[in-house]
Amino acid sequence: MGVKSVTTYALPHALVRALYATILPTATWQDLVQAQDMDAILAILSKTAYQPYLEIERELLTPRRVVYQTRCRLADLYDKIIDVVAEPGRQLLLWLWRLYEVDNIKAVLRGVEAGASWKEVLYLLSPMARHATLTKDSLEKMVQTEDVTRAVELTSDTPYYDTLAHALERYQAEKSLFPLEVALDLEYSRRLWQSVDQLAGLDHEQALRIVGSILDKDNLLWAIRYRVYHNLSEQEIINYTLPFGYQVHDEDIRAIATGSNITQVVKRIYPDLEGVEAISEDGTGLEKLERALQHRVVQLCHAAFLGYPFHIGIPIAYLILNEYEIEGLTVLVEAKTSHLPLDIFAPMLVVHTATPS
Amino acid sequence: MFRPLEMSRVELAVSEQDIVAVTEALAASEAFHPTRTDQLSGGSGPNYGEKWEEKVPIFTSLEQRIQTVMEALDVDEGPPPSETPHLIEPDLAQRDVSRLEQEAQAPARELEEELCRLSRLRSQIKQLQTIAGLEVDVDELRHMRYTFVLLGTMPVANVERLQTSLELIPSVLVTLRRDNHLATVALFGTQRDAEILNRAARSAYLNPLKLPETVRGTPVEAIAALEESIKRTRLRITEYEATLERLHQMRVDHLRHLLWRVRASRTLAETIARYGRLRYTYLIAGWVPTSKLPQLEQRIKEVSEQIVVEVEKPSRKDSEHIPVALENPPPVRPFQDLVTNYGHPKYGEMDPTLMMTLTFPLIFGIMFGDIGHGLVLALLGLLLTSRAVRALQGLAGLGPLLIYCGVASTIFGFLYGSIFGLEEALTPLWTHPMENIMDILMATVAIGTLLLNLGMVLNVVNAALDRRWGHVLFDHNGLAGMMLYWSLIGLVVQFFTDNLPFSAEWLFLSAAVSGLAVTFSEVLENLVEGRRPLIEDETSTYLIQLPIEIFETVITMMSNTLSYVRMGAFAVGHGALGMVVFIMAEIVGPAHGPAYWTVVALGNLFVIGFEGMIVGIQTLRLEYYEFFSKFFSGGGMRYRPLSLIPRER
Repeated sequence: MGVKSVTTYALPHALVRALYATILPTATWQDLVQAQDMDAILAILSKTAYQPYLEIERELLTPRRVVYQTRCRLADLYDKIIDVVAEPGRQLLLWLWRLYEVDNIKAVLRGVEAGASWKEVLYLLSPMARHATLTKDSLEKMVQTEDVTRAVELTSDTPYYDTLAHALERYQAEKSLFPLEVALDLEYSRRLWQSVDQLAGLDHEQALRIVGSILDKDNLLWAIRYRVYHNLSEQEIINYTLPFGYQVHDEDIRAIATGSNITQVVKRIYPDLEGVEAISEDGTGLEKLERALQHRVVQLCHAAFLGYPFHIGIPIAYLILNEYEIEGLTVLVEAKTSHLPLDIFAPMLVVHTATPS
Repeated sequence: MFRPLEMSRVELAVSEQDIVAVTEALAASEAFHPTRTDQLSGGSGPNYGEKWEEKVPIFTSLEQRIQTVMEALDVDEGPPPSETPHLIEPDLAQRDVSRLEQEAQAPARELEEELCRLSRLRSQIKQLQTIAGLEVDVDELRHMRYTFVLLGTMPVANVERLQTSLELIPSVLVTLRRDNHLATVALFGTQRDAEILNRAARSAYLNPLKLPETVRGTPVEAIAALEESIKRTRLRITEYEATLERLHQMRVDHLRHLLWRVRASRTLAETIARYGRLRYTYLIAGWVPTSKLPQLEQRIKEVSEQIVVEVEKPSRKDSEHIPVALENPPPVRPFQDLVTNYGHPKYGEMDPTLMMTLTFPLIFGIMFGDIGHGLVLALLGLLLTSRAVRALQGLAGLGPLLIYCGVASTIFGFLYGSIFGLEEALTPLWTHPMENIMDILMATVAIGTLLLNLGMVLNVVNAALDRRWGHVLFDHNGLAGMMLYWSLIGLVVQFFTDNLPFSAEWLFLSAAVSGLAVTFSEVLENLVEGRRPLIEDETSTYLIQLPIEIFETVITMMSNTLSYVRMGAFAVGHGALGMVVFIMAEIVGPAHGPAYWTVVALGNLFVIGFEGMIVGIQTLRLEYYEFFSKFFSGGGMRYRPLSLIPRER
């Protein structure tokens, strides 16, 4: 807690504090949840920070397009904050942002395999703004190749190429995108972890708490799903998961891989985790576990704003909260479009239910 | 030169047997701008006679096939032929193309296969090199009975994880080699655990080495055998390349000729398909510069005396549909390109190219007056125009502009007494801009005022040519606008001096009358030109707009005039930049040694390049936005004479 941290984070902190006010308050979420239809949602959002992103002709605002437009705001927020944060924190934010690039690659490869056109793929992607290694044009060219191998070749200037190129052999043998997607996820998580490791002191502590918890959540859920849904062997589960984490350690993953009782393993890792029921071998309770872990991350993000403010935790927490906010809006738009009853979709609005009013 | 070429509308009725010859003659004239008349054939094409629209895709496909053969034989298109090739019958072309394909594709395919083989062999050697240290027969490793052996590459990051996952399985993972991203490993275990080991290896992305059954012996021996195969493959590649080179030499001219002939035939088929058509007669319509009409008629007569040619002078109201052909002498052509970059004048409108030729270098020279800088620009222009430097050939079109601007800068350099930024070396024929800033600013405003008035005069001329008398009298840039402009200038000048021949009262009266005329210009123009209703919008809306209209007109006049102050400001700025260069040189090399002259040279280069570019942009801005907007609407249709092959203009 020195002068250096104040000078480094004075500007990011001021910016994030200003932007923090634009996070949707509980009252707005309540209005959104009660909204009758898409027009009502758009009317409510037109009074929020999303308004400039939704200023396009109403006919063009399909549910998919609305989601895409809200993600444009996330792209702009990442852009703004990455610009004012110094290294090595900046690298961490860049890697956090690249999660969407990884998702874009996966979506494009799925599109290629399904023979989809660029028009069909475009609004499934996340807008990437400036800090992307794959531009919209590059992604369009990938779709136009109509061939996964050639599409992967087009990523040769990106940090994902080596991983994808190596995993391509398995894709060619198995004709499934699963090995490509798993390889991409693992490599992304490793890089994200490395960027957390580059930090020191309070920055490291804060980043580890939030980013480590996100990685823990993913790692634990991967391990459980590989066991209960994919029936993978012990060795495969271990190879498809991460050997590092904040609270989830290698022995926990190995315990799940070797067939230990999942509920007991989860209770051992998170003794105080609320809302978790017994997780059975057919996957029952897994959805609630996922939601509980997401709640935990949101609460950690809100907690980052308490106490000494000059650290990387503040920008990270703000961006993650926004990600969850957009995830919530996506759930809402899809639920309203499919006329889902409130009790089905309301628990999925993690940021709303976990935000202190 | 002041107006686009006079055009005549030509209509031809041509029998089916003459249609190809006539179209070729029209293309050869390089003067005929066709217009569509296909509505006469009912849209989807007639059911009788030749079906030209069906020939288009055949020629397109032939063109692509020829290009594929050319690519295989490494033949480029070459320049377009000097004489337009005649139509080739699709069947004849098909036969020719098929023969060429047969001839070229066999060696090309063999070459491609050999190249693939070479790449495969190299990849096998690369894989073997990673295990070159093993003194084991590769074949024996393949056929182990009790021991499981898996050689392969995997991401370095996964090695430890794989070891962890196999902790409880009897196995050994040996890293043989480690690069940046990949590790070459050997996984040993028992055949009993083969399935577990294979699944584990696969999930750790361990890609097994792919060595064909033919690879035998130790890795070193196998590498030596593969290198022998590479040698043989290379020999075969050389042979196929020689065959293809021989074919290239034999067929290069024929392929190019055939390509251009097929291409010209495709354009010809597309053109004829767009003609109007009766049963066995084609109706062709288009535009020709009147001066080239006799020549065109002569060419058509040479094809057949039977062809009916009707020539018609266009009426004024058709002007929007008449293509505009500009013909300016070559020295003025670079400015014609600048004009057409803004827009093509409408038919009957003034061609502003000559005005641009006079005013562009003048404005540039005023802002960039320096003998040295001007001469450098002129020399650079000469260099570009001469196309002597291959790398600069793409910029040849810029050469003449640089020459004009360079000469104008040199003239103003003498007027300002400035050479390479030295303001004291010469006695100015007029003034040093730095020393008489107000004089230069006032002078440039005066020049701007003259240019604006020239624009307004041209607007009046354009309107008069178009017989829009209301526009001549009452437009913002017409006679009323000019009267208002001069009345306002008179009032400003009256404020500073009493030596004007008009009294302030007269000027006020004149400004009020002309101001009212401009304010009600819409109504007055409609009244004079006989258009009704007099007010197009609602009357209340119109009345609300009136004060805004006159206010905007006066503000626009003021801002347009003051915009020309930038000419003076840049002239002063140019002198100041020259001074800065010499001050910096003095700081770096007070003894006037090499350092001093290096800074002077680099500084001058910076001024010529950077400031020259900015001044060029500002000049273009003044021309386009202040001058052209007074009289030039653009929006004319470009004249595109029919051509069967692209010609460099």
